[in-house]
Amino acid sequence: MMYDFAYHRARTLDDARAAFRDADDAAYVSGGHSLLPTMKNRLAAPDRLVHLTAIPELRGIARDGDRLVIGAAETHAGVAASPVVQEAIPALAALAGSIGDPQVRHRGTMGGSVANNDPAADYPSAVLGLGATIHTSEREIDADDFFAGMFTTALDEGEIVTRIAFPVPDSAGYAKMRNPASRYALAASFVARFGGDVRVAITGAGSDGVFRWHEAEEALAARFEPGALDGLAVDPDGMMSDMHASAAFRAHLCAVGTARAVANPGRLTLLA
Amino acid sequence: MSEHDSGTDRDADAAPAAAGPCTELPEGWAYDAEASGIGVLPVDMFRSIGKPVKRREDRRLVTGKGRFTDDFSVAGQLYAAMVRSPYPHARIRAIDTAAAQEAPGVLAVLTGQDALDDGLGPIPHNPVPSTRFDVKLRAPDGAMPFIGPHLLLPVDKARHVGEAVAMVVAESRAAAEDAAELVEVDWEELPHVADSLDAMAPGAPQVWDEVPGNAFVDSAFGDEAAVDAAFAEAAHVASAKFHVNRVTAVTMEPRAALADYDPETGRSTLYAGSGGAVRQKRELAETLGLDPADLRVLSHDVGGNFGARNRVYVEFGLVLWASRRLQRPVKFTATRSESFLTDYQGRDLNTHVQLALDADGRFLAMKADNVSNVGARCVSLSPLSKGSGLITGSYHIPHAHLRARAVFTNTMCTQAYRSSGRPEVTYAIERLVDIAAEEMGLDKIELRRRNLVAPTDMPYRTAMGSIYDSGEYEANMDRAMALFEWDAIPARHADAEARGKRLGVGLANYVESSIGTPKERAEITVAPGGQVEVVIGTQPSGQGHETSFAQVVADMLQTPVERVRIVLGDTDKVSLGGGTHSGRSMRHAGTVMAMASADLLRKARTLAADRLGFPPEELDFTDGAFSHRDSNQTVTLAELATADAPLFAARTNEMHAPVFPNGTAICEVEIDPDTCRIEITRYASIDDVGRCINPMIVHGQSHGGIAQGVGQAMWENCPIDAESGQPLAGSLMDYGMPRADNVPFYDVGISEVLSPTNPFGVKAGGEGGTTPALATVTLAVLDALRPLGVRDISMPVTPERLWQALHAAPQATESRT
Ligand SMILES: Cc1cc2nc3c(=O)[nH]c(=O)nc-3n(C[C@H](O)[C@H](O)[C@H](O)COP(=O)(O)OP(=O)(O)OC[C@H]3O[C@@H](n4cnc5c(N)ncnc54)[C@H](O)[C@@H]3O)c2cc1C
Repeated sequence: MMYDFAYHRARTLDDARAAFRDADDAAYVSGGHSLLPTMKNRLAAPDRLVHLTAIPELRGIARDGDRLVIGAAETHAGVAASPVVQEAIPALAALAGSIGDPQVRHRGTMGGSVANNDPAADYPSAVLGLGATIHTSEREIDADDFFAGMFTTALDEGEIVTRIAFPVPDSAGYAKMRNPASRYALAASFVARFGGDVRVAITGAGSDGVFRWHEAEEALAARFEPGALDGLAVDPDGMMSDMHASAAFRAHLCAVGTARAVANPGRLTLLA
Repeated sequence: MSEHDSGTDRDADAAPAAAGPCTELPEGWAYDAEASGIGVLPVDMFRSIGKPVKRREDRRLVTGKGRFTDDFSVAGQLYAAMVRSPYPHARIRAIDTAAAQEAPGVLAVLTGQDALDDGLGPIPHNPVPSTRFDVKLRAPDGAMPFIGPHLLLPVDKARHVGEAVAMVVAESRAAAEDAAELVEVDWEELPHVADSLDAMAPGAPQVWDEVPGNAFVDSAFGDEAAVDAAFAEAAHVASAKFHVNRVTAVTMEPRAALADYDPETGRSTLYAGSGGAVRQKRELAETLGLDPADLRVLSHDVGGNFGARNRVYVEFGLVLWASRRLQRPVKFTATRSESFLTDYQGRDLNTHVQLALDADGRFLAMKADNVSNVGARCVSLSPLSKGSGLITGSYHIPHAHLRARAVFTNTMCTQAYRSSGRPEVTYAIERLVDIAAEEMGLDKIELRRRNLVAPTDMPYRTAMGSIYDSGEYEANMDRAMALFEWDAIPARHADAEARGKRLGVGLANYVESSIGTPKERAEITVAPGGQVEVVIGTQPSGQGHETSFAQVVADMLQTPVERVRIVLGDTDKVSLGGGTHSGRSMRHAGTVMAMASADLLRKARTLAADRLGFPPEELDFTDGAFSHRDSNQTVTLAELATADAPLFAARTNEMHAPVFPNGTAICEVEIDPDTCRIEITRYASIDDVGRCINPMIVHGQSHGGIAQGVGQAMWENCPIDAESGQPLAGSLMDYGMPRADNVPFYDVGISEVLSPTNPFGVKAGGEGGTTPALATVTLAVLDALRPLGVRDISMPVTPERLWQALHAAPQATESRT
């Protein structure tokens, strides 16, 4: 059971920031599907929750030229079902549809997931793999500068993710090996091709959270087919290791996942 | 225990006979129609027995009208929260409760010392199985084993992570949990041990000072000299060591209890879902030193048991005690985290098995060395005991020798878990047979066929002294193979290969035993309206007793099923009853309900004879009415009952002879050697359940049983970090489960070879799905990996384990596509 806390439903960005500032130890909450379980286990004890999802700037999904812009408070289910997303970046819609279960997908939000930067979460791989821009209440941050290690981001205290702008690629694919228990990513690879440029982002595996696999990007830029990855390997030294997968197995899965993502563009491929 | 002792006991030192047809059956083994009072069963008049009658409990359960423990609340109730040990093994130097006592809303903070001061004793778990047919497990010196007293709260030390050492009772759950954090325990950490083999090693930490070396049971069975002789002359010996992983039940409804004390009558009512309210009442009354008449236990709907709820939990006693001290109702509901740490767990057996064969592949003898990890104290020896009687599986093995040990460790206690003890030994013998076949270059089906116990040898006494009652083992295997389309394997192999997958098939035969508490009682009342009420002491947690039991009584009394109501789970109504475990319920309840029905019909016949004016023995009984061929007059059971004198009969029956459900299961898997994903693509089984009262319910039980076995084989595991002693799977984030999307559709068939031990010929259903599944899945995976050089893999066979096995294997580098 959680410790006591106060609750505030913010209507505007300023309202949210003020409510956050005025408490000793406030936390923003969107879908609550990462934060509330932590609070129930008494591992987090904010004295005030500031609820963000009613703030208009955080809503909406729209195509804006060569970009797809998604509000931070859009749910996984909303993204998965959006014709705009399905048309622009089908792998992103499929990724959203593969998160957790229907309950999780109807509460959890893109902003919450990205701000949380769980090393096994799905969205960070798409944000980094597509080279998205994170818009916040204060500024714009490049994906390459945003993720800063497990559960750590470039966000400052009190800064709110408002929306994320994804460049629309020529093609993108996502391949995921799921943890047999939690079904979070055990290793998953998001591969996006923009003309001659390729970006590969891997989640679930790295001990610093989501990361880009540069050797694979170079090899695929030269030749965009699974065979281009032959002989390439991720260094197990930088991998997480636990009862579900050793560092060596994770490193192996990074390669397998990247190859399958290349082979199956526009789709989600479940390795297990 | 001694009440059941008799000459047929399998004592460790009794001279065992070689296995073979059992010519001298123990007294009372076979069902005696005359002595039972049932006489000839009206089999040809069965209307609903054998029919897939829809489960009457389901509408209630799926529309949220179930009454689970936490659904009950009493005005003014308080909430209990536990202070639990963060250490696997630590001395309690002192407990400072002062700060917690003063926290808002707190009414009491209680420790083990308070319980001792109030005269509370340990829970009388009675873990040594005691029917005439259970093997006799004893301490190394031959005495009754020391089991480690299970006080509600320990006073000396905590022996596993999560052990409750103090309780806070407060006005709200939040207040109780907040205050529990203020209780300060002065701990002295002690060395700890989690693995049962490590625990027996010299110098291992001592869980109980009373048991140096931690092995508190050490018994041997079988004819060692004959086994040694057979091994000496064997053409081949196959040998293997296995660990059957530890699992937990993950019941959908966490365990909970609500105690309500009535100061006026001095009586306590405990709402607590369990595997049988009668045992809970008896053992809790003894723990608290209450007159059993002062305790009523209610167990209504139970959201999953699988064995985890059969034994008394400390929290049940604690809320009872607190409610009597505080004269207020007190509730405890476990969180999922508490359930993972402190629900009674299952399995955890180390086994070393050896099989001696002659040059033709005939089994000559077997040796087994089984070590059961019971955890921090012993609440049940059922798994070790059940398995002991079945080490030879479905096969004729003339001689066998078993050493059975049980060991304390710094882990949560283990208990009987769905199909207690049987999947473990089935896994061992079936894997051993596959190993022998491969080593000797024999076909694994042919090797099994050569050694299966023949129907003509039934009843059959095994080398462990179990008497298999009936069964057609080879026919089971043939039917299962036909259902599976065994002949199509090569084609499916090729098809899988074309898709880059490796296909594997695992087949396992099984025999399991259903023994269980020998006593059961039924009370049957026919009211003037014709409604039939049956009070019975079993406790369903999804098995559909309200339906299948009603089918039995309906056919016995020749009345529609809808008229029969089954009353369970209230100790004010149910005075005696063994609960539900070990697949005992249909057989024990069916038998005693048939007896009570026959008694009731006898009484009714006398009354009817009076009414109709004919001698009782001349009356016919059809469609629920008595008649005479010389008269058009009839009288129904309902008409014979009056408000003052309803028709009533009660019967208590004691039945010791176990039955041996049996069958064959086959699993097919496809493995992606790159990702190490394992997918079950086909699963077929034949289960001989004896007479099948309701095939739909039995099929449902088989499906659930298979899923549970598959779950253990593929995902479920309670590992412990050796260094810290901490459980690593404390939530569903780390404890993998079977789900709708990762278990296949099953092809299940039922075989009905009637058991000669009870009136209906019932064996048991529901555990048979689980029993062979650990073996079938593992054997299928090994079959698929054999071409890649993998010979062994341990459960659960996760992708990680598979990857490790592939990389350790000699031909490991062959595949990478
Ligand atoms: C059973 C279960 C299964 C799951 N499975 C998966 C899975 O397979 N894959 C996966 O990726 N995830 C999974 N999740 C996590 C889920 O996707 C969460 O919803 C998501 O990670 C967090 O989003 P949220 O909106 O719920 O965030 P919240 O829980 O509300 O917040 C998470 C963190 O982000 C902060 N935050 C929230 N919104 C913002 C914002 N706009 N700006 C700045 N900070 C913010 C909060 O303060 C908090 O620290 C699962 C969760 C559950 C409960």
